[in-house]
Amino acid sequence: MSSVLNINNLTLSFKTLMQRVDVLHGIDLRIEAGEKVALVGESGSGKSVTARIILGLLQETRSAVVHGSVLFDGKDINTLTRKERAALRGTAMSMIFQDPSSSLNPVFTIGHQFTEVLKRREAKISQADCKKRCLKALIEVAIPEPARVLSSYPFQLSGGMNQRVMIAMALANQPSLLLADEPGTALDVSVQAQTLKLMHKMVTNHNTAVLFISHNLGVVREFADRVYVIYRGNIVEDGPTAALFANPTHPYTRALMAAVPRITGTGLPQVPEFSDEFLAPRVSHGVNP
Amino acid sequence: MIRALRILASNPLSLFGLLLVVLIVLVAILAPWIAPFPTHNGAVVDFAFANKAPGARNWMGTDLVGRDIFSRILYAYQISLTLGIVVLAIATPIGTVVGLIAGYSGGWLGTVLMRIVDVFLSIPPLVLAIAMMGVLEPTLTNAMLAVTVMWWPWYARLVYSVARSEREEGYVLAAEVIGANTAHITFREILPNCLPAIITKMTLDMGFVIIIASSLSFLGLGVQPPTPDLGSMVAEGARYLPDSWWLTVFPGLAILVAVFGFNLLGDGLRDVFGVDE
Repeated sequence: MSSVLNINNLTLSFKTLMQRVDVLHGIDLRIEAGEKVALVGESGSGKSVTARIILGLLQETRSAVVHGSVLFDGKDINTLTRKERAALRGTAMSMIFQDPSSSLNPVFTIGHQFTEVLKRREAKISQADCKKRCLKALIEVAIPEPARVLSSYPFQLSGGMNQRVMIAMALANQPSLLLADEPGTALDVSVQAQTLKLMHKMVTNHNTAVLFISHNLGVVREFADRVYVIYRGNIVEDGPTAALFANPTHPYTRALMAAVPRITGTGLPQVPEFSDEFLAPRVSHGVNP
Repeated sequence: MIRALRILASNPLSLFGLLLVVLIVLVAILAPWIAPFPTHNGAVVDFAFANKAPGARNWMGTDLVGRDIFSRILYAYQISLTLGIVVLAIATPIGTVVGLIAGYSGGWLGTVLMRIVDVFLSIPPLVLAIAMMGVLEPTLTNAMLAVTVMWWPWYARLVYSVARSEREEGYVLAAEVIGANTAHITFREILPNCLPAIITKMTLDMGFVIIIASSLSFLGLGVQPPTPDLGSMVAEGARYLPDSWWLTVFPGLAILVAVFGFNLLGDGLRDVFGVDE
């Protein structure tokens, strides 16, 4: 089976004038076509930089040193030219962000921005065709009055609406991989749950593979087929969601799961900043169930 | 647009500024038709009426060779406005492009561009313009050139700072992620978000450009006689103060009204766009 994404021994370090900071220490990660994979870890563990490497954005930063292979549809992102990488973005892969409202440019209407996205794939798409496809995409994400939304500006819509617009835009060009960087964290919990459910349905319908980046274990459990736990630039545990949640083995995964707030309010255990326990070797729960 | 006008109109001072600006632009355009002595904008002498105090025939008096000061002020507004518009029309795009490129791409290119801007900003603006005019021939075109050269760095600085903060916004990353190229992000995504600040500064600057241009011609380095210019009219009359006060006071008031109008309007626009200082 050919993977959409196959990351092998990926390392990343940032070099400054005086020193070199290692951020990722050899990550292995694989996503099959249509699979929903979560990457879980605390802030600063290397989740977001991994997404930026897959998109090929960090490779263009002079201070970043990237080694290893990132095979996307069989092509190594690290060895592609700048132009080839740019051609993949927005067509074969796309991304959804934390704060949907700031991800849309405030000075253009939704319709205008949606058109630009569609033009990425088909530069000569006709006005009428474009409008039809925008409307269809918005209906698909359950937006009422899609015509009104198309002529609205992002700040005239609620955060939940903007998030749904972002999902529609991200999937409009039928990408084979969707990167979701803590989607909806800026929204309130009920809206977040609603949009995640919608996103789950959408990616299943489109058979889009997803790399879901999050620190929210509850959300991950609902959403993902398979989970990778990342700690300080190392994958410490991975496996099918059910197996990993049923039997968290690595000390860091256990600590992370113990730190989930509960409604009974029994207080939170402290996850230590450093612990020798967390350096335990990687635990793998086997491949797909 | 209607919303903007309503916010503008809700502040009486901004509305007053808008009225002054509209009035000045109108009288400047209509000068040939509404000036009581349209020929007095050039080399005309009428010694029978030289140096007369304001009266029924000449509302603002006459100058040393008998020309109607009111008529000359109307024509001088034409020169001032033309100069202001041309200077801003050239300085703003140059400064904006430099600021955008430096602000978005950053790196060594941004550093080099902004250090060049700093070199310009380190010289007091009027001194730079005076130095240039000292070398060049004192004509209207050269005055525009001198003021433009000292003006664009301020726009570069302004747009740079706005672009720096805009590039951290989510929509820039979102555009990068859909594969938009640098030119598209710089000019189609970031620039529209810088426009409110640019337009506000342009309105505020109209007044300052008029002052600088008047200062140049006050020093004899700007537009040359017999072309009427507010600055040179003030300079001419200054020697005859306080006896022939109308020679200086009316052109001076004309400068004040213009600068006041543009500043009030600029302040009002700042509220409309919600731009911070």
